[in-house]
This record gives sequence, structure tokens and C-alpha cells, in this order.
Amino acid sequence: MTQSKLIPLAEAVRRYTWDGMQYASGAALPIGSDAIAFGRELLRQGRRDLHAIFHCNSQQLNLLAGAGAATKAECGFSGLEVFGFANGLRRAVESGRLALEDYSNLAMPLRFLGGALNWPFVPATTNIGSDLQYRSAFAPDDYPAKAKIPTVTDPFSGREIGAFSPLRPDLAAIHVTLADSRGNSIMLGTEWSRFELSRAAKKVVILADAIVDPGCIRQFPNLVRIPDLVVEAVVYWPFAAWPQSSPGLYDVDEEHMKLMNKALATEEGTAQYLKDYVESYADLDSYLDLIGRDRLTRLSATETAFLLDPYRPWILSPDDVAKLAKTGEAA
Amino acid sequence: MSALDYTRQEMMAIATGREIKDGELAIFGVGLSMLAGYFAQAHHAPNVRAMTEGGVFGATPVGGLPWGIECNRLSVNATSFTNALDALGFLVASGRCDVGIIGAAEVDKFGNVNTTGIWDGEIGESFRPPKVRLPGAGGANDIASGAKRTIIMAAHESKRFAEKVSYISSPGYLEGGNARDRFGFPGGGPAAIITTLGILRPHPETKEFQLESWFAFSSIDEIKANTGWDLKVAPHAHVVPEPTESELAALRRVDVTGALRKKD
Repeated sequence: MTQSKLIPLAEAVRRYTWDGMQYASGAALPIGSDAIAFGRELLRQGRRDLHAIFHCNSQQLNLLAGAGAATKAECGFSGLEVFGFANGLRRAVESGRLALEDYSNLAMPLRFLGGALNWPFVPATTNIGSDLQYRSAFAPDDYPAKAKIPTVTDPFSGREIGAFSPLRPDLAAIHVTLADSRGNSIMLGTEWSRFELSRAAKKVVILADAIVDPGCIRQFPNLVRIPDLVVEAVVYWPFAAWPQSSPGLYDVDEEHMKLMNKALATEEGTAQYLKDYVESYADLDSYLDLIGRDRLTRLSATETAFLLDPYRPWILSPDDVAKLAKTGEAA
Repeated sequence: MSALDYTRQEMMAIATGREIKDGELAIFGVGLSMLAGYFAQAHHAPNVRAMTEGGVFGATPVGGLPWGIECNRLSVNATSFTNALDALGFLVASGRCDVGIIGAAEVDKFGNVNTTGIWDGEIGESFRPPKVRLPGAGGANDIASGAKRTIIMAAHESKRFAEKVSYISSPGYLEGGNARDRFGFPGGGPAAIITTLGILRPHPETKEFQLESWFAFSSIDEIKANTGWDLKVAPHAHVVPEPTESELAALRRVDVTGALRKKD
């Protein structure tokens, strides 16, 4: 009998994270699919001095930075798209508490690709000639920076190009729409860089909004971009991306996006937010109660719900998932 | 002013959309540039091959300005979801993308864009934290490096139109002239800066941006007064045609929630 990899969220954080680690998350852009619940649990367990690798900032990094748990970050984009500046991250950067190393949205997946392929560096004609190349927050006195995106000579054309350092984060917490209990995962919406990240990271923990029977995986193997063999553990956590969106399942919670970002703009607001929305729940049920059952219904009434239709027959009920987790056997 | 009532932001979006030609492979950033791009698709470029940097293809926004690239307002009718490596790499860094629209917090006379931070004065030798941290480069650096041409959109205020940006997040013509050549970018650089007051285009040799046209509600004087460098006026500078009824109707169909209609 194959083993289920389902474990509780708190256990995943206990087992796979530590202070000072390189932690990657931020699955799909600042308002989309991200393992935000994992970030909340990192704070609940008091993790600190994190070196965050986020292709894009999300409310997760905004929260980790605002709460002072991340001291280094590497990002391609550090705002919240139409929701504006990310106030927690911004405050941490402006005060010098967090060193933010800037890249672009292509540079980050290229660096994941480099890590995944075990390349020494990734050559590309982007970021060069701009201050993304010349300015380094990790080596502020190295100007123009020589160690961040060094220039190398293309051995074929003789042209000078940028050399990007590969990324191999200690852990990636990746949000997906659907996973089976072994970690075979299906993402609805853009995968952003979750494919490369899942191969670049030394370990992967999946946070799934829904758990499916393996029959689903065998029906749509082409869509399983993260197979179980790169996955350490699976956490079942509905609304794991809240207040951000998960296409097919729920819309962005506009009200909470604004409330959260406003809170993170100040020390006092952040302390209050941690008290109200990070430390206040005991388990998945009380997390969902905290969001509010009416609100969950409202957010779930998404026009993208049809995207989930082909997979619905295989989605397991919370009771079935609990049983699987208990027996430790994969369905 | 014509009989039509429209805002400066709407004029900026329409002028930007007019730059997009039917059939082009185009990439739109989030926010106002997305509205401008999808306006072009709704009005005169129905066959534009539109994409976002997230690898969301074939989608048109439903229910108003998407909050972001993975907003369900865009995910609701996509024909393909891939990834950033595909959109910004295979289709932009490869040199295939015809045109990209990007925004700017600060832009200088050579079309270099800063979206990273505001410092008090020059940064200096040592990289210190900014007074105000902005959202960073995102995909705009990749678009500015890779797209055949880039359109920059920016609110026209003198603090945003600087002689020299303090930080280059996305390269324009760098120090001007043929400075881009030494980097071998696949992209050609910014073709226009479209503002809330008018349109600037680069001088063919120096690449310094000059005033090419002004909007009906604006003037050469107003634009010069709101530009932080000594703005030159192109020999045949002219007024931009006002939005037509069908342009405005198409824009407002895309901008359902009226993001551009707020009076400034």
C-alpha cells in the first residue's frame, strides 16, 4: 500500500522549516494562488531571519516582511498589482530591516530553471544595462555590482550577456488547486513559475485547496505539472491562498486585501493583524470560521467555477481527507 | 473641448491603444496599460494576439479592471494558461513580441523608467534604502529589453519627468544615441511616452524624447511646465485627434468599473 503524504499544516512547518533558511513561495503573482496559510503558520511558530525567494511578492511576503520574520528577499516584483504598494514589505525595506534584491519577472524563473537543471549560471539578455544589474541590496558597496548579474562573453558571438545565478531554495511551499494524497498536483490558472520552482527547490510542500482521488490524476496526467516524486508532503488547506484568489475555486477578497495591506502599513496595525488573523485560530475549521462562512460562500461564487467542473467527480470530502490522513494510506 | 466628455486618463488610454495595430503580438502590464491594450482589441485591433506576463492567453477582462494578472476577471475566459518563462521568455526575450505597454513612476528624457524607489537625491556609491519603495521592475524590464517596441504610459507631472531617473528599472535609450547597442537587446526601445497631457517621441538620432503632440485640453506650455527637463518641441508638433464616440464607447466597455473615469 502506498503511503499518503498528507500531514497537518503545523507539522509541515515544524518538520521542513527553520530560522535563517531560504524559503520560496509566492506561487502565482501578487493576487493569485499562493500558499499564504503556510506563511501564517511560519509566524505562528515564530520562524525568523528568513531569506525569502518569491518570484513576485504576495500578501504572504508582505506579511512575513511586515512582521519582521524575513530579513532578506529576492523578487521580480514587489507590489500588490492594482491593490498598490505592499506596505509591510515596503516598511521593512525603507527602514533597512530587510534587504530586497531586485530582479525581473523573467529573471526569477530563469534562475529557478538554472537551479532545476544544475546549471552554473543562466545566460540572458535581460536586466543588463539597468540598475537591476548594477545595484545590489545584498552587497550595497559593490557598485556597479559585479557579483549579482555578472557580464560574461557569449563564446559563439563574442557578445556580452548577463549571467544569472541559479536558485535552489531549501524549501518551496507551493499552492495548487488540486492534489492527490501523494502530491500529484494540478494547477488551474497560470502556473507562473511553479513548474520550475518545484524542480529547483531542495524540498517541496504542497498546499492544496482540494484533495482528489488518484483517478483524477490518471484522467488528466498531462495537466499534472508537479508529480509526487518531487513532493515531500501534502497539506490539505481550503482557502490556503486567502485573501488572494484561486482560479476555479474562489475570487480575491477585495475587502480583506485592503484591510490587510492597511494594517501592515504600521507596527501597531501589524501587531493587531497578527493577533486577529494569524494567532487567533486553532485548526482548519476555526480558520474558515475566522474568514466567515458567509464570506466563503460569496468568494466561492466565482465566475471561474466552471474551470473546476471536469475535476469535481474526484474531489474528496473533508471527512474522506481526514480518514486518509489518519490511516496514512493513499487512496 | 468637443461635445464628448472624457477624462485625461481616458485620453491617455485611447492614445496608447491607437499605437497597437491589428494582428500584433502584444503584451500588457497590469493596471491602466491593460485597459489601453484591451481597448485596442475592442476597437480597432480585434486580431491582436494579446498576452500577459503570467502566461494568460486569449483572455479579455470581464467585470472591470482585473486586480492583477491572476485575477479571475481574466482567468475566466482564457484560451491558454502557461507560465512566465513562456510569456516573458519564449515570446518576449526571444524577440517575437511586437509591442509592450508598461507604466512608469518616473521616466527620463531618454525613456529610462524607474518603478523601484524614490531616493532623496542621487543614490550614491553605496546602495541605500529608498525613501519610498515602489513595486520594482516586474516584467517591464524584460519587455523594455525584448519587445520590438515599448509604449510607456505615465501621468504627466514634473516630478515624474526627470532629466535622469535615480534608478533604471527598465531601460529606455540609456544615455541616448545608440547606447542600447552595446547590450544586444532584441527589443528596439520605447517608441512613445504617452501621458495625461500628450505624446513624446524619441529624436531619431539623439533618442531624446521630444514633444510630438498634445491633447485638445492641453498645450505645449502646459506640457513643458510639467516636464522636468528642457523639453524640445518636434518640428511638426500637432494636436492629437480627440476620442471618437466609438473609441470612447469601446474603452468604457472594457473599463466597466470606471477606473479611468475618475476626474483628476
